[in-house]
Amino acid sequence: MLYPEIVIVGCGNPLFADDGFGPAVIEEMQKLTLPDNVKVVDAGLGGPHFIFTLLNPEVTKKLVIVDIADFGADPGTIAKLRVEDLPPGSYRDAHSWDLAEPLQRIKDQIDITIIGCQPAKVTDPEFELGLSETVQKAIPNTIRVILETIGVDYGTTIKRLQEERQRGTAKSCGSAETS
Amino acid sequence: MSKVVEISPTTRHEGHSKLVLKVNDAGIIEKGNWCSITPVRGVEKLAIGKTPEQVPKIASRVCGICPIAHNLAGTEAMEASIKCEIPKDAKMLRHILQLANRAHSIALHDILILPDLYIPGTEVKVNPFTPEEPVRSVAKRIQRIREIGQTIGQIAGGECIHPSNTRVGGMYRNCSEQAKTKMYDLAKEGLVLAHQQAEFMIAVLRNYQKRDWVDVGGMKVPLPKDLGYHDQGYLATDAFYGSSSLEECPSWDINRFKEVRPWDWYMGEMEISLEEPKYPVGGTTKMGTKVNPQMEACTGIPMYDGQPVEVGPRARLVTYKNFDEKGTVGQNVAREMEYQDSFYEMIDCIDALNPSGKVMADFVPDGDGSLGWAANEAPRGTDVHIARVKDWKVQYFSMLVPTTWNFATCSAALVGAPWQLAEVVMRGYDPCVSCATHMIVLDEDNKLVAQKLIQ
Repeated sequence: MLYPEIVIVGCGNPLFADDGFGPAVIEEMQKLTLPDNVKVVDAGLGGPHFIFTLLNPEVTKKLVIVDIADFGADPGTIAKLRVEDLPPGSYRDAHSWDLAEPLQRIKDQIDITIIGCQPAKVTDPEFELGLSETVQKAIPNTIRVILETIGVDYGTTIKRLQEERQRGTAKSCGSAETS
Repeated sequence: MSKVVEISPTTRHEGHSKLVLKVNDAGIIEKGNWCSITPVRGVEKLAIGKTPEQVPKIASRVCGICPIAHNLAGTEAMEASIKCEIPKDAKMLRHILQLANRAHSIALHDILILPDLYIPGTEVKVNPFTPEEPVRSVAKRIQRIREIGQTIGQIAGGECIHPSNTRVGGMYRNCSEQAKTKMYDLAKEGLVLAHQQAEFMIAVLRNYQKRDWVDVGGMKVPLPKDLGYHDQGYLATDAFYGSSSLEECPSWDINRFKEVRPWDWYMGEMEISLEEPKYPVGGTTKMGTKVNPQMEACTGIPMYDGQPVEVGPRARLVTYKNFDEKGTVGQNVAREMEYQDSFYEMIDCIDALNPSGKVMADFVPDGDGSLGWAANEAPRGTDVHIARVKDWKVQYFSMLVPTTWNFATCSAALVGAPWQLAEVVMRGYDPCVSCATHMIVLDEDNKLVAQKLIQ
């Protein structure tokens, strides 16, 4: 199967500064050894037409989307969002015939979590490479939240990430408190 | 008296574009402008000073739908500039990746055009998402072909969307014997499905072609027999993959190409004088709105031998396989005919692939600043990247993407069609607008005019 039980997708465009947060998280996650039923994908801008419209609810049970999101918090803050929390038009697939949002189509069959990071700057339509420092620092914590969401205990790595968090290098949201 | 109608934004394709149409009393297009309204970006500028490894990665991020074509064309433009010949097995992996992407892309395009077409023998338009037969099994087949395309692409390219396996000088790693077998099995399964899917699509397209009228938002629109005809000529560099040297493809000479300003080709300021609230989705632009395609268009007009040309599946079939059907239906039929071809060729490439062969060139030069270019036959047409590399730094980089070629050609093809069918003609080009929009522009004396068109 192309997409297994758990799919983690990083969305965004690294050419627009902090918009590259999703792909940056995925790049780090690809260094981890994860169970066979987990797949991490750097979707770039292709999430809607490459992945969200191609998931088979009989196989894929959990979808985690990593992206930037504006929820008015300090830059680098991360939050767990549900599909219902997204503004209309999010992840619209230009290729769908009625402009329906593909996530709305699958949200009742697949458990979808969106992990959003408040960006410091998005330069669209001008190109700029590289994440801002605050957003860069949110990456370890985001990975920890993702692993917790999919129920993977990554042992010492998690502990190390937790320490980093306690040192105050990244902030966590309420729902992602450590146990 | 002519009236002006605008369809904005156009739907069922990637990016933002619009159609501004001057129509006669019968609603037939006298002059059509199809223009991109995705803002100009500056990937060419961003690339300067970066390493040749970085630039194809940057290039592949300009668009959500064609990263594979941009990645391959970008990498090969670098290789052409530094004069690096890659091993045969690396070439095979790239061919497989590109063909898998093409199969996926045709399947996606099927979903896009199906809602314009009718189920043969009925007055019902196809809804690709209906749970009812016979459409349900067609949709399932389309999804399976997309899945096969992505899986093969992932094996050959490392990742299915942004391939991580390509390197300047070859590929990062070859695949295993088992992976080769898996690709082979998938390609064989895909071939059968591609045959079925192409047959179905061509039957539905022929049924559409035979109709006298079609329904658009409740309007009964006459269907002309010459829908989408144009006399602009074709450009293709290879039946399947592409070319990066004059020796391989003598008919694609970069010196015969130039790009001109959009304001010589598009109409000037006008006022909307025809409004149709019934037009799907959400009606056309309101009466009295001012439009100015000359200033709003975000792309230059590329010309080959002084004329805009068509690129894409039909251009490839006309150039290499004696295909001769014109018009929108012909174009869609050509795309369907590429289905099986892409799987047959893929199987040949997998056969030729030696999993224990080397995939990296022994020596990758740093580059002496010569101009190199690569034309990759992307699903939508010829994707040309041009680069100059010196001492492992990119000095110059430019992208000339398929849909940019097709903008002016499609605008010419709109003439004579009822305005309600303008989007049908446009979709025949399978446009991908967001990557079509970032160009350096020359005027007709080959002088550098503008780095950026929008002030």
